Amino acid sequence: MSIFEYNGSALVAMVGKNCFAIASDRRLGVQLQTIATDFQRISKIHDKLFIGLSGLATDAQTLYQRLVFRHKLYQLREERDMKPETFASLVSALLYEKRFGPYFCQPVIAGLGDEDKPFICTMDSIGAKELAKDFVVAGTASESLYGACESMFKPDMEPEELFETISQALLSSVDRDCLSGWGGHVYVVTPTEVKERILKGRMD
Amino acid sequence: MTKQHANWSPYDNNGGSCVAIAGADYCVIAADTRMSTGYNILTREYSKISQLAEKCVMASSGFQADVKALQKVLSARHLIYQHQHNKQMSCPAMAQLLSNTLYYKRFFPYYSFNVLGGLDNEGKGCVFTYDAVGSYERVGYSSQGSGSTLITPFLDNQLKSPSPLLYPPVDAVTPLAEAEAVELVKTVFASATERDIYTGDKVEIVILNASGIHREYMDLRKD
Amino acid sequence: MKLDTSGLESFSTLTAPGDGVVVEFSAPPSFQLPNSNDFDGFVKEAIQMVKPAKGTTTLAFIFKDGVIVAADSRASMGGYISSQSVKKIIEINPYMLGTMAGGAADCQFWHRNLGIKCRLHELANKRRISVTGASKLLANILYSYRGMGLSVGTMIAGWDETGPSLYYVDSEGGRLKGTRFSVGSGSPYAYGVLDNGYRYDLSVEEAVELGRRAIYHATFRDGASGGVVSVYHVGPEGWKKWTGDDVGDLHYQYYPVVPSTVEQEMAEATGA
Repeated sequence: MSIFEYNGSALVAMVGKNCFAIASDRRLGVQLQTIATDFQRISKIHDKLFIGLSGLATDAQTLYQRLVFRHKLYQLREERDMKPETFASLVSALLYEKRFGPYFCQPVIAGLGDEDKPFICTMDSIGAKELAKDFVVAGTASESLYGACESMFKPDMEPEELFETISQALLSSVDRDCLSGWGGHVYVVTPTEVKERILKGRMD
Repeated sequence: MTKQHANWSPYDNNGGSCVAIAGADYCVIAADTRMSTGYNILTREYSKISQLAEKCVMASSGFQADVKALQKVLSARHLIYQHQHNKQMSCPAMAQLLSNTLYYKRFFPYYSFNVLGGLDNEGKGCVFTYDAVGSYERVGYSSQGSGSTLITPFLDNQLKSPSPLLYPPVDAVTPLAEAEAVELVKTVFASATERDIYTGDKVEIVILNASGIHREYMDLRKD
Repeated sequence: MKLDTSGLESFSTLTAPGDGVVVEFSAPPSFQLPNSNDFDGFVKEAIQMVKPAKGTTTLAFIFKDGVIVAADSRASMGGYISSQSVKKIIEINPYMLGTMAGGAADCQFWHRNLGIKCRLHELANKRRISVTGASKLLANILYSYRGMGLSVGTMIAGWDETGPSLYYVDSEGGRLKGTRFSVGSGSPYAYGVLDNGYRYDLSVEEAVELGRRAIYHATFRDGASGGVVSVYHVGPEGWKKWTGDDVGDLHYQYYPVVPSTVEQEMAEATGA
């Protein structure tokens, strides 16, 4: 089994009309054994920028701490929040530093940029960025998520519909994956507010 | 005994996706018509669907040489059955025959992933789904092949039917009308084609109902 | 009367492939073997390619009113769940049940085969086969294929002339008589609950609930188990299915969600 599948994870981000949503499952496992069902994979960098780190949990947490540190330094020096594009480049640079001994994570970054334009992107474990206009997925349930998102996604959804779509896509995907699920965690971010919701899911 | 090449394998994977949906009085079986090997497309018009009996159709992906061999065995067995019993084999009977045929190759499997669709003796739609060595199960809908991981979660979402294992039992019939089922099949193939390189070119849809059998085609992306 | 000893015979049904189609129709059907120098390696590789369905929790135990048999319903290939509705408790005849763990096809096929053999025994001897006999029939078949890569971990449970009876049989040739077994990837979790709650003088209702709880907790912790928890009881009048609950609902039945305060209030996003 790949080290990326050691803890199990499912991550997805979608773009709506002047808003975005990012969602993850809540399981932390050691291979097939479920250890925790309230694990946080998505973290807030600032009010309009979120990052989800799929893959090996220990690397995800370490990488997250380094990212927060770098973002705080940026805030002190520049007296402003980072733009999502800038932050994506930072993540990419930190990952590439470890080109020959990588962090075993695949990040998903979602944020609102200039004029509240939604931005989503994902990258591989050594920092190759992949920008998308519609949705990005990562984790052990990624194939199922691709299928579900490809069929359910529509462009320019309003926040409420976006929440419904991403939740349905997430739950139906993790129900076909042994290593992720046990509930869901969804953030819907609009220029004026952040809505966070916990999803009830199948607990098997 | 001739010496075998060190890294030669008797198997290849020709890809492709199959879907089947059973309704109250119909059954829809569909598969794409692309046949590939590695990154190459061998042909864009290869039918993965074969009619085994009057009311029994099989769609198979995997290694098409094995699939062809399997189809030949089944049709020969069906011919013998017709001579012996003077009637067509029922779909559930064909389902068990397929299971046994696959299992008798347990130590040298047919590399084929099959779904069997048809109408049972009461005229209800039925779908049987298999693994390569013959474990099988009657279900309301199923997807097999290279795009199955993309298609199945969406079908779960749209057709979520109560499990047949529930007790007290809950009636588990796919809630779709025939036309809706055909539309759904077209949607899932269009989606799978976007992300699966082994699925594309054209989807062949076979519809079985009381009035007989008919086919439909829809073009898919060719890249 | 002639004694049927076919279950004790060593099997010699294996034949090397003949010339093509003829073999397929020769009765009785036999297994085709690959013409390879390295049989073990070939089968292992081939089976890895076709990835048969695996992953399970099953349990069975004897108590004062009979035997309880319970199982989940998930089949997985690697991390992917290929089915949530597998019938892992196989009804061999009205007085005997078998459970399924390991390779789905291996279990299904050999249980079907066992069902036929049991019926033939019944017709030949004018009485039902004992659980001891049936389990030995299966164990002998599996033993004859030992080392060829079959993967079966099964329990044969039933009620015969001697009362309730339970055997564990596996593809390595093992056959154990016992009062409490659990088989499959989720079995350590199921044993935890089962051993903790087991008493010989359980009532049927209590025993059914114990079986259901044990399987439920296994599905919660084990990624490869889940779906629907089915519980059967075998008594002197034969088997009966008692419960079949979707784990999706069962979890919230055992642990209802308490209405909690909002974890995070909607906040005004501060401008950049």
